[in-house]
Amino acid sequence: MTISFLLNNEPVTITTEPMRRLLDVLREDLKVRSVKESCGEGECGACSVILAGKPVTSCLVNIAQVEGIEVLTAEGISQTPAGKILIDCFEETNAVQCGFCFTGFLVSCWHYLTTTPVADAEAIKQAISGNICRCTGYVKIIEAVQLACQRINKEQSHEIS
Amino acid sequence: MKSQKRKDAFAKLTGKCRFLDDYTVPDMLQGYIIYTTIDRGWIRKINFPAGFDLQEFTIVSASDIPGKNIVPEPVNDQPFMTSEVVDNFGQVILGIAHPNREILKKFISLTRIEYERRNAVTDTKECLDNEANQFGEIMHLKHELAPTYNLRHLWKWQQIFYTQHQEQAYLEPQGMLAEYNIEKEEMKITGTMQCPFFVKDAVESIMGKAVKNVVIETSEGIGGAFGGKEDFPNLLAGVTALLAWKAQKPVKIVLDRKDDLLITTNRHPSRVDIIAIMHDQNGFISKIDIDYRLDAGAFQTLSPVVLHRGILHATGGYNIAEVKIKGSLHRSNTPPNGAFRGFGAPQAIFAMESFIDNVAHRLSISPLRLRQLNLLKTGDQLPTSQIVTENHLQDCLDRVVQLSGYKKKFTDFQEYNKTNTVKKGIGLALGLHGGGYTGNGEKVLQSRVKIVLEKNGMVNIYVANVEMGQGAHTTLAQMVNSIFKLPPEKVNVVIPNTSQTPNSGPTVASRTIYVVGNLLQKLAERIKSELGFADLKDHIAKNQNSFPQSFEEVFVPDPADDFDDITNQGVAYHDFSWAACVVEITYDPDLYQIRVDKCWNVLDVGKVINEGIALGQVYGGVVQALGWALTENIYKKGYPRLSGFTDYTLPASLDIPEIKVEFIHTNSPVAKGLGEIPMDYPAPAVRNAFLQATGIMINELPLTPERIFAAQGRSKK
Ligand code: FES
Ligand code: FES
Repeated sequence: MTISFLLNNEPVTITTEPMRRLLDVLREDLKVRSVKESCGEGECGACSVILAGKPVTSCLVNIAQVEGIEVLTAEGISQTPAGKILIDCFEETNAVQCGFCFTGFLVSCWHYLTTTPVADAEAIKQAISGNICRCTGYVKIIEAVQLACQRINKEQSHEIS
Repeated sequence: MKSQKRKDAFAKLTGKCRFLDDYTVPDMLQGYIIYTTIDRGWIRKINFPAGFDLQEFTIVSASDIPGKNIVPEPVNDQPFMTSEVVDNFGQVILGIAHPNREILKKFISLTRIEYERRNAVTDTKECLDNEANQFGEIMHLKHELAPTYNLRHLWKWQQIFYTQHQEQAYLEPQGMLAEYNIEKEEMKITGTMQCPFFVKDAVESIMGKAVKNVVIETSEGIGGAFGGKEDFPNLLAGVTALLAWKAQKPVKIVLDRKDDLLITTNRHPSRVDIIAIMHDQNGFISKIDIDYRLDAGAFQTLSPVVLHRGILHATGGYNIAEVKIKGSLHRSNTPPNGAFRGFGAPQAIFAMESFIDNVAHRLSISPLRLRQLNLLKTGDQLPTSQIVTENHLQDCLDRVVQLSGYKKKFTDFQEYNKTNTVKKGIGLALGLHGGGYTGNGEKVLQSRVKIVLEKNGMVNIYVANVEMGQGAHTTLAQMVNSIFKLPPEKVNVVIPNTSQTPNSGPTVASRTIYVVGNLLQKLAERIKSELGFADLKDHIAKNQNSFPQSFEEVFVPDPADDFDDITNQGVAYHDFSWAACVVEITYDPDLYQIRVDKCWNVLDVGKVINEGIALGQVYGGVVQALGWALTENIYKKGYPRLSGFTDYTLPASLDIPEIKVEFIHTNSPVAKGLGEIPMDYPAPAVRNAFLQATGIMINELPLTPERIFAAQGRSKK
C-alpha cells in the first residue's frame, strides 16, 4: 500500500504494509530517531508524536491511519519557536537525565505550550501524565515547562503591545 | 548560582543522541533470544516451526560456546546459556539471528520447547522463611562495647520485615550490538551498559581463544540503568557475541519490554529480623541482633556483594553498644536478582527505620525523641568498629524537622485524626550510604584515569564510567575544569571504549564522582603544577610541539583504611553520606490508599559540584523509592509475572508529592556519594507516616491497598 503524509512539514510517500506501526515506519524506513520504543503498548509515551495536531503514541498507530495527515516529531518540533523555548528551558533547568523519555516529553509539553501555556504545576502534571520518566521524578520537567510558559506568555504580550 | 548545563541535553532532546537501537551497521542481522519459560525442570525437546528456511537463520546454543559457559561474576555460578537443566524462568536457551526482524519474531513465537517440570520456589516468603534455601557464604558481624543498660529496665522485642522485588524499568531496554572482524579476529561490542570492563571479561569468557581481541564501547546514550545494566549486559553481550561470531556478520539484539521485565535483574526481596534490647520506658537501644536475608534468585552472581553492603548498613544511623548481624542469601527459582540503586541498603534501612517507629509507637514516645536518643554521633563507633569522624546526621535531622514543621504537625495530625475519617500522617526516616566499593574493594580495583591535553586546546577525559543519565560526564568534566578554568565546551569525557580508556572501575556504588571524580581532580591539579601554567589555553598555544600530552593517575586509598573481610571489622567505607527525611501523607481508609503529599530531604553529600544535576538525582531517587514503597508490585506466584508496563505501576507525574531538597555542609572539600542515598530512606518514612496516621504497623512493602486491607483486618481482630 502507498501512503503519503506530511512529516515535519515535508511530504513523504512510502510503500509498505498497512498494518505496520507508525513507530516502526518512522524509525526503520524514515530514519526518524527521536521516536523511541520503550513499552510498545501505549503506556510510556516515549514514542509520542503529534498527529493531526494531537499527541499520540506512535506504537499504537498503524501506518494506514496516517494517510494524508500531518505528523510532527521532536525533530520538527525543535525547529519551531515554542520547541526552541522548551529546549532552552529543559537545558537551563538541567531537567534531562538519561534522555530516553525526553523526545516524548518534548512532544507532550510542546502541545501543552502551544495550546494552553499556563504555568500551573497541576495542569502540567496532567498534560504529561501519559509520559513515564524513570530518572527525573518529573520535578524538573514541570519546572522547565513552567519556565517555558512564562517565556512564551511574555513574548506574546510583547507581540501584542 | 546557575548550574552548568548538561553536555548531553540538546542531543537528547532533539533525537540526535544515538541509543543502542539507533545503531545500524552494514549487513547487520537482527538477533534475539529464546529463554526458558518454566521455573524449574529440564528442557526435553526444541521444536522449530515448519515453513521457514533454517539456512537463513543463525542459531547458537550452549554447545557452540568456544570458551566457558559461565558468566564472570563475584560468584561464578550462572551459565550464559542452558541446554538441559532449568533453574529459573528466563534462562537463555538459544540465540537466533536473521536479516529480517519480523520473520525472526515470527519464528521465535512459533518455536516450542518441551519441558519436564520440577517443584520450584518462586514465592519470596517461601524462599526467605525456609533456612533450607540458604546458599553461599553466611556473613557475620559482631561488635561489643561495654553494656550500657540498666538491668531493671530491660525490654526485649522482635520484629520481622519483608520487602519485595522491584523492577528497574529503565526506559531504554537492554541491547547489544556485536561486530566480528575476521581479519583482526576482533570482537567489538557496543551496548547500553554500566561496566564496560565487566562486559569485556564476559565476552572473553564465552569466546575463549576463538577471538584474539575484545573491545567494548558504550552506546552514546544509555537510557537509564540504576544498577540494572551492571550485570545483565554481561550475559547479553556474551550471547550476542557468540551469534556474531557464528554468523560472521554483525548482530544486534534489543530486548522487547516484556522480555526485559521478565528476565533481567530486579531488586532483591528481603526478610530482616530485628531483636533489640531496650530501656522499657525511653527506648534506649543497648543491644541489637539482626538477621538479614536476601532472595538471590536461582544463582548467586553478585548477590554476596549486595548482602555485604546490606549488613554494613543494617544498624542505620544509630549508635548501639552491642551488635550482632547475620547475613545470608536464599535461593529461589526466579531470575537472579542484581544491583539496583541502594544495593542492599534500602532493605536494611527500611527494617531499621520501621523498627524505630514501632518502638516509639509501643512506648508512646515521639519517633523524633527516640531517634535523638539513639543517634550516631561523631566519635561513636559503627558496628565495624570504625570511628565516625564526620557525621552530620544530627544536622540533617534538626534541619528536616525544622523545614517540615514536624513537631507541630505530629501533634496537629493526632488531633485531626480523632475527628476525621481521612487520616493525616507524618513520618521520619534517616539514611546513610557508604561511598565507593565496600571494604577493600577500591584497594583491589586500583582505578586509573587519563586526561589528554590536545594540540587544539581541547581536554579529553578518559574514564570507564558511563553517562547513564546521572549527569556523570558533565559533572566529571566540571571537576577537571575547576582546575583548568577553560570554557566548559573545551573539556569533555570521551565515550568509554576499553581499547583506549583506562579501567577506572564500574559505574556503580555511588563511586563515579566520589572516587573517579576526586581522582580526576587530583590529576588535573598535578598536571597544572607539573606544567606550571597560569592559563592552559595560552600554554598549549605557545608550546604546540609538546602536545598532545597524556597524563594518568591511579587511585590510592588512605593507608589507614583497613578492613577485615572475615570479621567485617575496620573501615568499610571511607566516607558516608547522610540524610534525613520527613514525609507527609493522606490516607483514605475507604480506598485503602496512601497519597504522599510532601517529602522533605536534607542531605550531606559533601561538596555539590552541579546543583541542578544533584537535585535531579535526589528527585529521581525519591520517586523511585516512593514507587517501591507504594505501587511497584511484581509478585505473582509462578510466571509470567508481568506482561508489560500495564501490569506494573510506575510513579507517573500525577503521583508525585511536593519534594523539597536541601544540601548541607556543602563547603566540604570532598564530593561524596549521591546517586543511591535518595533511594535508601523515603520508603520507611512513608511507612512511618502511615503508622502515625492509622496506628497500624505494616512491616512489609509495598503498601498496596491489598496489603493495607489485609493488615487492617488483622489489626481489628
Ligand atoms: S513505546 Fe509507545 S507508549 Fe511506550
Ligand atoms: S530521563 Fe531517563 S527516563 Fe526520563
